[in-house]
Amino acid sequence: MSGLVAQPGAGAHTGIGRIFERFPFLPAFVILIALLVLNGLFEPNSLSFGALTGLVSTYLALMLLAVAQTYVVYAADIDLSVGAILSLVNVSIIVLMQLMGGSALSVLVACFAGIGIGLACGIFNGIIVAGLRLQPIVATFATSIIFTGIALYIMPVSGIPAPSVYWRTYGGRLFDVPFVIYLAVAVAVILYVIARTRLITQLLAVGDNQQSAYQSGLPVTMTRIRGYALCGVFAALAALCITGDTASGDPLVGGAMTLNSVAAVVLGGTALSGGVGSVAGSVIGALIIGLVNSLVFFVGTPSEWQNLVQGLAILVALTVGILVSRRAGQ
Amino acid sequence: MSAAEPGIGRTAALSAERLVRQPIIVALALIAALLVAGELLSPGFASGEQILRLLIVAALLGIVAAGQNLVILGGREGIDLSVGGVVSLSAIVAGNIMNGADAGIVPAILACVAIGGLFGLINGVGVTLLRIPPLVMTLGMLGVLQGLLVVVRQGIPSGNAAPALSGFVTQPFLLGLPGIIWLWIGIGAFMAFLLRRTVFGHRIYAIGSNEHAAAMAGVPVRLMRVSLFILSGMFAAIAGICLLGYSGQSFANVGEQYMLPSIIAVVFGGTPLSGGKGGYTGTMAGAVLLVILQSILTTINIDEAGRQIVFGATLLVLMLFYGRGRAMRG
Amino acid sequence: MAKLQVRGARKAYGATIALKRGDMVLESGEVHVLIGSNGSGKSTLCKIISGSVRPDAGEVIIDGRPVTVTGPQMARELGIGIFYQELSLAAHRTVAENISLARLPANAGVFVDHAAVGATAERYMAPFADVLGDGFAADTPVVKLRADQRQLVEIMKTLATEAPVLIFDEPTSALDSAQVERFFDVLRKLRGEGRSIIFISHRMDEIFAIGDRVTIMRDGETVTTMALSDADHDMVIRAMVGGQEALIATGNADDEGTRRTGKTILSVQNISGPGFSEISFSVAAGEIVGFGGLHGQGQSSVLRALFGASRRQAGTITLNGTPYTATAPRAAIRQGMAYISGDRGHDGVITDRPILENVTPVHFLRNRLTFAFPGRLRAAVLPALQALRTKYATLSHPISSLSGGNQQKIVIARWLTDPPQVLLLDDPTKGIDLATKTELFALIRELAEKGMAIILYSSEDSELLTNADRILVFSGGAIARELTGADRTRYNLYHAAYEAA
Repeated sequence: MSGLVAQPGAGAHTGIGRIFERFPFLPAFVILIALLVLNGLFEPNSLSFGALTGLVSTYLALMLLAVAQTYVVYAADIDLSVGAILSLVNVSIIVLMQLMGGSALSVLVACFAGIGIGLACGIFNGIIVAGLRLQPIVATFATSIIFTGIALYIMPVSGIPAPSVYWRTYGGRLFDVPFVIYLAVAVAVILYVIARTRLITQLLAVGDNQQSAYQSGLPVTMTRIRGYALCGVFAALAALCITGDTASGDPLVGGAMTLNSVAAVVLGGTALSGGVGSVAGSVIGALIIGLVNSLVFFVGTPSEWQNLVQGLAILVALTVGILVSRRAGQ
Repeated sequence: MSAAEPGIGRTAALSAERLVRQPIIVALALIAALLVAGELLSPGFASGEQILRLLIVAALLGIVAAGQNLVILGGREGIDLSVGGVVSLSAIVAGNIMNGADAGIVPAILACVAIGGLFGLINGVGVTLLRIPPLVMTLGMLGVLQGLLVVVRQGIPSGNAAPALSGFVTQPFLLGLPGIIWLWIGIGAFMAFLLRRTVFGHRIYAIGSNEHAAAMAGVPVRLMRVSLFILSGMFAAIAGICLLGYSGQSFANVGEQYMLPSIIAVVFGGTPLSGGKGGYTGTMAGAVLLVILQSILTTINIDEAGRQIVFGATLLVLMLFYGRGRAMRG
Repeated sequence: MAKLQVRGARKAYGATIALKRGDMVLESGEVHVLIGSNGSGKSTLCKIISGSVRPDAGEVIIDGRPVTVTGPQMARELGIGIFYQELSLAAHRTVAENISLARLPANAGVFVDHAAVGATAERYMAPFADVLGDGFAADTPVVKLRADQRQLVEIMKTLATEAPVLIFDEPTSALDSAQVERFFDVLRKLRGEGRSIIFISHRMDEIFAIGDRVTIMRDGETVTTMALSDADHDMVIRAMVGGQEALIATGNADDEGTRRTGKTILSVQNISGPGFSEISFSVAAGEIVGFGGLHGQGQSSVLRALFGASRRQAGTITLNGTPYTATAPRAAIRQGMAYISGDRGHDGVITDRPILENVTPVHFLRNRLTFAFPGRLRAAVLPALQALRTKYATLSHPISSLSGGNQQKIVIARWLTDPPQVLLLDDPTKGIDLATKTELFALIRELAEKGMAIILYSSEDSELLTNADRILVFSGGAIARELTGADRTRYNLYHAAYEAA
């Protein structure tokens, strides 16, 4: 797991600080374990293989979206359009698969096309934010409106189903192992590989101190654009997962997920100010959001109180996470 | 060393350029242009009645943006994402308290403003004492508020707006203008007085412009910042009450649509997200501009998708008008 | 043919001129020292050469070929590596990553080659192996290192560019003598290989130990270049100081110390804090006490601690005979302290705001005001602005429309609108023109004569010599020497400052 951390190596100093430095997502990991234990206490079945697989298959999209967000946050940027990109890719691939008859081949082609669309959206964001030097928050909000518009153009009303081969595969089994497990493993490998690329170190250096990075001779603008491009690709991957999970197209499906992706990133110990963090943390952050939701249910919270308790739990987790990692960083 | 403005010996040409660069003049010019364009596209667009309707909608957004404006002016990445939640909560609480009776208006206002102020206080304490980044703190708070909404709503629509409140928002009150327009004008005057004629106002600009220098000159920075979040919560609460009056009844998460637009209105009004300069008069123009822009797009004969795409693209183009970030090379 | 030549380089930020006319000729195989007081334009000149500052005029010539350095990336391609005074490190990256940051070795052009990164780090760490200090390893994040260790990382990062031209802008300010010695060994080796090195330092002994030639800058202009083998300390100091040959202070300052008649206002006993320890002194009404010494020897830290802007751990302070315990600027201001910093951008100017709003914050606090009526405020601030002879169009103009000197006058007026008891001046004239300086010091003397107690830290020794009644020379966070009466000579001051370092 440490390979997913974008901060290889430990210091020659000792103590808790060193551990945190190596695993910036440690507070989140502790919270995750605690939540798993609590879930198990209140609903023993929730720790069964099937239940955990279900959790992963439901939250894989949010995990990937949080990962996408992490790459831009590394460079102290933010992308409020990830949800819109997800929606756009979701409807695009559904329509593509439908046009091409829903065969296995069409599914594959559509998936690659979807990733290409995500990449294009990301590059567009990068050029707008880094190239034209606009404020990331407002600029990506504006692009999110554009992407949502395009999604609405492609599919004005939600509800077109995905070809059965698509969602049967996503929700099915291969050699008696749930397909999402293969996906999760594949994603872990991909994240591990990406964490070792030069781009990640460059993104983190830009986020650490943009002026320093520039003076050191790093291509700051190009690095930020690449960060947005990577973000777009992972938002597209998240869309592939959500399409498998919901089995239909919805031009507004991602809207509510954007802010959750930011919350997951912060929960995972990545600083919005850039320069430190890990994608592993963001994955854990997304799982925390999922487990909080299920725990609140298992505890037997009256249904109308569930959202409030979830919101409070996430706020507390966000606060504690920031306070703990700050203390450890000192 | 930061780049300074040109010296005293400015030429007339430069002054003219400055005039054009005044965001409020840009906004007013754009408003005028859009009204003309709207009238050409759809005769009757710029009729008095229609403009009045636009102004009511703009007032709702503008009142939310007043608080947002204060938080942003205070600098240090000040932003309040929780306003959307406060607007919704306030609309519902107000509806439940007044339940269609005029006698309930005053208690409703008191209760809602107190609630808004309380959430602002919590935001402010989190941001200053716990040093949680405003974006994270108010994002977490938004989650809590959304949960609270479900609790308060108990699955049923809120009580009705009192007749006097609905009349205040929608019916002519004085000189043919509804009360809400007068309220907005009053808030505009209050904000102008606050920002220009009070020590508090001067200190907002001071902390937003150079927090360190302000602290060195004896400005109570933390107290100031907490106050700004409290005011933001209160303004959002007032907007929520007015929204109830506008729609008669509150059911869904109606406040959400004000969250990001309130930020855009502030930016288009000439207050950069970095804070320290700008003011509320510009924000009022920004709110009107946004509402007219949206309205003009609904009158043109294009579908929802095209409308969104044009809207997002227009926002991006406008952002280019409002100043870009500094280049890295000195 | 010279390796690198700069001709007539000029840079202004608005009305502030950072570099008036920078010239220098750098040969191959030399260590070329650049010296001058703070604000004389050395760093700006270096940043123009390395491309991170765009010059308004002038040319850079490399190997006889005029070049336009469009940015740091271009500078690297042209073979220029630079050590930035303010460092250019990514705090959360490791030592090794920082050393290789600009050109991260990669496998297949994509994956960071950690082995190569580590090997590069080890190679550049090797010459410093015995002076790296505790906790310094290739995989330590820079944020965990001490100031001197960070400076070493920046040195290694600069060396790792392997550029033919290396610029070191104050690379030794935080290093101890053993670390400096290792660094100089490396520089000598590089010089032997024919590389060209620009070296900036304020330490006279270092300059003579490593330099071949020296270019002296004063007030944004290149004054002269000389061979260090033909020069001695005095010659260099004289060139830095300029034509002011008078070695004995002649100014407003009192020669016999007879002005020190007032009662003691501020008394400081054994205070310690970050950057200083065991400091004791007192200031009487009507007295101007000077803080001297090299830059960053604890002078500013003491002033900031007195103002409650930084923590102090030990000692006692009395103000007018009563204990003074302010732990925040607000409390200090209420008790009659004022702190004027020369770092306008950071401590003083409220950017983008009108002149009036830049004067009034302290007035608000001292008078516990609620409303800000421009008419009354104008009346309140005018006396101070007039006393300072500030030039401005109207009080509603943004402060950024003024020149640096006038901006500083506005900030000073902020503190004089309601006269304080104690005036702390922290290098108050940094980057201000000569005429304004003269006016300012006349006013400061006037304030002293009205009974104010004044502490003046200045990085320009001539200011101290002409204005301070006594000078406390700081070194390493302690008071190394006190100069009074006829001892206040330029020579004594330079000697105490440079030799103690």
